[in-house]
Amino acid sequence: MMDSIAQKEFVSTLRDRRFAVLSVLVLALLLAATLVGRASYRTLQQERQLAQGTVNEQFRNQPARHPHRVAHYGSFAFRPKSGLSLLDTGVDSFTGSAVYLEAHQQNSVNFSQAQQSGSLLRFGEMTVAFVLQLLVPLLIIFLCFGAFTQERETGTLKLLLSQGVTLRQVAWGKIWGYSQAVALVVTPALALAAALLFTGEEFSSGVDLVARLTLFVLGYGVYFFLIVVGAVVVSAKQASSRAALVTLLGFWILGCIILPKATANLGASLYPTTTKAQMDAEVHEEAQHGINGHDPQDKRSAELKAALLKKYGVDTEEKLPVSLAGLQMAAGEEYSAKVYQQHFAALNATYERQNRLSDWAGLLNPYQAIRPLSMGLAGSDFAHYVHFQQAAETYRYNLVQRLNQLQADMGYGDKERRLDASTWRQLPVFTYQAPPLRWVLPQLLLPIMALLLWAGLLSWLGLRLISKTPVA
Amino acid sequence: MRNFWILFSYEGRHFRAAKGLVLLCCLLLATGLYGIYYGTTEIERQRQHLATLPELTRRNVEELKVKFPGPADAGDIGYYHTTFAVHHPDPWAALSLGLRDVNPSYVKLRLLGLQNQLYAADNTNPMKVLSGNFDLAFVLVYLFPLLIIALSFNLLSSEREEGILVLLLAQPVGPATVVGAKLAFRISVVLGLALALSVVGMLWAQVPLDMRVVAWLVLTILYCLFWFGVALVVTALQRTSAVNAVTLLGVWLVLVVLVPSLLNLGVAAARPVPQGIELTIKQREEIHAGWDRPKAQTMNRFFALYPQWRDTTSIRERFVWRWYYAFQHLGDQAVAPQAAAYAHRLQQRYDLVEQLNLLSPAINAQSSFNALAGTDLPTHLQFQRSAARFHDSLRAFYYPFLFRKVEFTHADYAREPTHTFTSQPELGTAYGGLVKLLLSVAAMYALGAGLLRLRPISPR
Amino acid sequence: MTYILEAKDLRKQYADKLALRGLNLQIAPGEVFCLLGQNGAGKSTTLNLFLGFVLPTAGAAFVNGLEVAVNPLKIKEHLAYIPEQVMLYPHLTGLENLALFSSLAGYKYSPTELVEYLTEAGLPVEAVRRRVGTYSKGMRQKVGIAIAVAKHAKVLLLDEPTSGLDPKASNEFSELLRRLSSQGTAVLMATHDIFRAKEVGTRVGIMREGELVDVRPTAALNAQELEQLYLTYMH
Repeated sequence: MMDSIAQKEFVSTLRDRRFAVLSVLVLALLLAATLVGRASYRTLQQERQLAQGTVNEQFRNQPARHPHRVAHYGSFAFRPKSGLSLLDTGVDSFTGSAVYLEAHQQNSVNFSQAQQSGSLLRFGEMTVAFVLQLLVPLLIIFLCFGAFTQERETGTLKLLLSQGVTLRQVAWGKIWGYSQAVALVVTPALALAAALLFTGEEFSSGVDLVARLTLFVLGYGVYFFLIVVGAVVVSAKQASSRAALVTLLGFWILGCIILPKATANLGASLYPTTTKAQMDAEVHEEAQHGINGHDPQDKRSAELKAALLKKYGVDTEEKLPVSLAGLQMAAGEEYSAKVYQQHFAALNATYERQNRLSDWAGLLNPYQAIRPLSMGLAGSDFAHYVHFQQAAETYRYNLVQRLNQLQADMGYGDKERRLDASTWRQLPVFTYQAPPLRWVLPQLLLPIMALLLWAGLLSWLGLRLISKTPVA
Repeated sequence: MRNFWILFSYEGRHFRAAKGLVLLCCLLLATGLYGIYYGTTEIERQRQHLATLPELTRRNVEELKVKFPGPADAGDIGYYHTTFAVHHPDPWAALSLGLRDVNPSYVKLRLLGLQNQLYAADNTNPMKVLSGNFDLAFVLVYLFPLLIIALSFNLLSSEREEGILVLLLAQPVGPATVVGAKLAFRISVVLGLALALSVVGMLWAQVPLDMRVVAWLVLTILYCLFWFGVALVVTALQRTSAVNAVTLLGVWLVLVVLVPSLLNLGVAAARPVPQGIELTIKQREEIHAGWDRPKAQTMNRFFALYPQWRDTTSIRERFVWRWYYAFQHLGDQAVAPQAAAYAHRLQQRYDLVEQLNLLSPAINAQSSFNALAGTDLPTHLQFQRSAARFHDSLRAFYYPFLFRKVEFTHADYAREPTHTFTSQPELGTAYGGLVKLLLSVAAMYALGAGLLRLRPISPR
Repeated sequence: MTYILEAKDLRKQYADKLALRGLNLQIAPGEVFCLLGQNGAGKSTTLNLFLGFVLPTAGAAFVNGLEVAVNPLKIKEHLAYIPEQVMLYPHLTGLENLALFSSLAGYKYSPTELVEYLTEAGLPVEAVRRRVGTYSKGMRQKVGIAIAVAKHAKVLLLDEPTSGLDPKASNEFSELLRRLSSQGTAVLMATHDIFRAKEVGTRVGIMREGELVDVRPTAALNAQELEQLYLTYMH
């Protein structure tokens, strides 16, 4: 019974010229977005790989230098794009791509796409995720708004019910039929994307990618399903097709345009953050005067010197087997890095608090559930960005401390000497490994729950509502 | 004309009876007020942030005074002293925040090479900037068209579908009058709302009363009129309400969402900007090579460029500041072409969009609002140029100390140049946008009127 | 003599159908002309051409000597029209609807006068200030009649005016038509109801496939003859 209704919806949808035009359009956009996504992925990735290769070469081929000079020469970390980011660029365009790694200070990640474009970028980016999250729901709305109202307006609903079908069966039949039609539009593009991902030599394929892509597809499947169900429920509850269409479009505008922006802005207003300048000043202050203000740097340096003299049983710096400056530098770096980490963690905690408002809004608005899920799986969300920042900072810290150690080992009078050029070849260069799915999954539980909750509630409550709808 | 006013006043009664539409207008009013509130608080927050910067500089100076109690080598001061180039927002920025959340509103500067300081980003929450600003310009550019669509998608079709149109057109009143009166009423409601919000926004943000008030209001009016023009064209096609709604929303989607995002892709592909990263890498290479080069070579190159600092003493010490700053300076010199190319390329990107934004009045309106408020890319580039000039003036201030070997005293801190830059509106862009918008409006109404002439309104 | 309504070789070609093939018709003041015919015979097209809702492919329609296509607005001052289904603004009261349509026709009535027109058309006085959304089809029809009467038009164009009315209201309506025609108003009425046509009409015209195939004065016909005539052309 249900199957024949589904069949009827599927067939009549395919015969609907408007749907054909719209779906061809959406499909074309999806395919275009996939190809463009890969092209821009390639460009950016090559640009960054080239730059990373260049700076790594430059680092290895330094002449004989004092290690602290090398620490100031430093290096760069370029953020590689994640493979799936060709489907969902997430926040990538708004985060910087390059960070300068040097002694004593943690620099900002600079040169974001957003800084390099005019306000055009703020209208939204044409990516696969954009089409899937915003345009496919619109397609579904146009497809489903008349699901019940039209049957009622033409009187066919009574005819159907007089054949002994229940309203609930009619509804499920329609949902199933429409779902097939949507799958028909979306599947080719996702298949193309998967093919590109798995055949392109630049992508590290593997279990992780397969798992991410599977969850990606499943997530969108649930998202589309719940929108189909929601649209059918609205169609059943509204008096006319016009009212159903207007209501659904209203929901779309509210959910996809107004709420995401409003919650993000509200979050930023509720939990203010400090500027980088302020933060740097505080980090400097605390590194100088101690985290509690009782432990100034001069005192720490003096204590370190006294401890060293005692340890080696000598009375002057000249007699130490190690370079005091190198060890003081290391201690200073350790201390300031600790201070910096505290501030950095606090800043990110504030950002996460700002973003949590939007994440919780996912319970009210499925768009705000699929968005973090999608970019989390694509490896282009805020958490992945922070992971990169942390990786860059860890590398910076280790590099600088290794150089400080090299300096310490040079013994007294190191300032007059240099280390051989071959030294720099033994130091590791920056390589970034994006975290595995396992790492990101816990953060995606909320959006996953929200989506499932929506799908479950709509299937249960919505369908109950439909079955109680008066027919005449 | 009499009938026009009768119909106009009855439109008011129909409108009041449609509770949903009244509610929608109230909602949009509330949304607009929130937009103004958000914009003004955001700019206020930026102002507060900028206001703390002199304090940071002051504390830095205090610290230096402790560190160097007596007359000091200016090289030490230049190395440890931080100051800021600040980009103050224009009051108008509160109404159209543009890129003020993406681009930093200050640059922290030391006497070192400029190019590795100039592009530093501020702390931003990428999720928030991704979602964008909920300012008045957003409400006007994004949401007002939707209100116009909601009010006008059944301009005539509802009367036709309800069967009232036959009786209406049996009266001595032409279809043009009916459409005109209906459109005029909706235009007055929407424009009333848009202009009221704009005026509230201007008062709230305390904008200076200059030509920009007129320009903003005219832009707002033209942009709303454009969307009414689209509604007129769709009305003239005389389809059902549902088809009209879908068509109008489709047009909105194309002009407000698809064209901008596709244009963005096109511009990014046509004008790539690898120069930023290139110049940063090259500058580091140049500066650090300075350590390894013979000092005389560095100094001679520097003196060739700046003969006014030439002195006769050659450097014998292992380290002196004037040599250090000379190779920092030469590092900037070495990447000057790249830096210029980078800024030029960004400007080119912007100009390309300016040329193409006739395709979408939404982009045009947004960039015109941003241009009025001085919150778009060109203003930021101006600020960067201004910051670069400030850095030059810092050099000009410190170099006499360094090269004439004058000691830096506590009194000299107060003589150090300071920087301030306030956004300037891009009036040319805004007026250009206005003209383009006028063209779009004219085209829409010509098309609508032509269609109406071609296909007389059918009462059924 | 001058005719208030006149059609000269009126042709109307729709995309898929020739709706009217050279109609010639003259109606004098005070005449009640009933157009009889099947659905699609061209009755409504004729009315629409007089109203200027559609433009003729050839020929011309005249109202009070003015060509419709040339003076689309002016002629409507002389016409009143009652469609088959009178639809009104549902959120306005009957009174407000009447006020709106009368004012568009250039008449400004006091509330008392408006109530009078409505009750005269047969609307119960207690319904006058209720929203039209609560009205039955018949009540809306009566507001439509009131709108037509209050316009003091020289011509009344009617499209199946009595189809929604109960017999009592239909009789009242016939009475009204007689009164108006005695005051010199011309009536052109498209109808299926041959008996009503015989009762109120001064002439009947039979339309078939876009042509006026027969015109008879009703005075010269008895009911059987009329029915015979009707059946002849209808089948």
